[in-house]
Amino acid sequence: MHVEIRLPDLGDVEEVRVVGWLVAGGDTVNEGDDLLEVETEKTTFVVPAPSSGRLVEVAVGEGETVERGGLLGRIEPSA
Amino acid sequence: MGGSNPRRSRTAHVALGRADYGWTLDLQRALHGRRRTGEIADVVLTVEHNPVMTFGRSGSREHLLVPESELRREGIELFEVERGGDVTYHGPGQLVVYPIVDLRDHGRDIRRFIRCLEDAAIGTLGEVGIDAGRREGFPGVWVDARKIASIGVYVRGWVSLHGLALNVAVNPAHFAMIRPCGLSIETVSIVDLIGKTVSLDRIRDLFLAQMEAAFGWEFEPTGLAEVLGTEVVR
Repeated sequence: MHVEIRLPDLGDVEEVRVVGWLVAGGDTVNEGDDLLEVETEKTTFVVPAPSSGRLVEVAVGEGETVERGGLLGRIEPSA
Repeated sequence: MGGSNPRRSRTAHVALGRADYGWTLDLQRALHGRRRTGEIADVVLTVEHNPVMTFGRSGSREHLLVPESELRREGIELFEVERGGDVTYHGPGQLVVYPIVDLRDHGRDIRRFIRCLEDAAIGTLGEVGIDAGRREGFPGVWVDARKIASIGVYVRGWVSLHGLALNVAVNPAHFAMIRPCGLSIETVSIVDLIGKTVSLDRIRDLFLAQMEAAFGWEFEPTGLAEVLGTEVVR
């Protein structure tokens, strides 16, 4: 089972724009690591990894818009 | 004002006076790291920068309207930073406020945080007789179509960095060197609107009082060494 990376609840924020990923597809990440930056309301927000494992899917690219709770990618948890 | 309000949390305010942008950036980042680990509590820095252009994460060099050589000639520094937004100018006559706060203690809401900063600026301007407001979709504070305060924030681990800049008496020639936020907009300073001088310290004190109300704080003037627990070299 892969772990979905979803846009965290940022409060009264409907959508964000992806600034860029800080890790590449296939990279191994630890829970809490910085994964990507998104921007809304002139604010850059750093999305952390929800769990440890390998980033197996990058669902949104630079400049794309993501709505509240939207899918950002997937992590294959480390055994 | 006067006596302490028990319902408000005492929060450090460090008045940095006039400072270079790079030095302040290093300081902010160090404090941000310590706030994230819980070593320090929320802290608010206020500063007046020496002239500098900064590019946020959405910054485009096309929005710098003069060659970099001209900036150097004018003694204006240039930085690329992690905050949101495009290019902005900081310089003498501008109040810059950097709240380094854990947003989990303040509603865990990015939009609400930005609105609190904007409201503090709007309230401050109201105190000096300026009717300012928001423009939907364009964060910052506006007087009609002219921008008087800019916002740019970075949030990592739910702790904020960077903040708000309010134009008190800024050199218009420096603003003319950029297309702020990538928009064809005019910027304006408080003194242009009230037709008389006002000190940066007075505006800072008004702004801090607005922030205290918005965030439930009571500011304690604090030395940098006190926050850092070490002597500071500038």
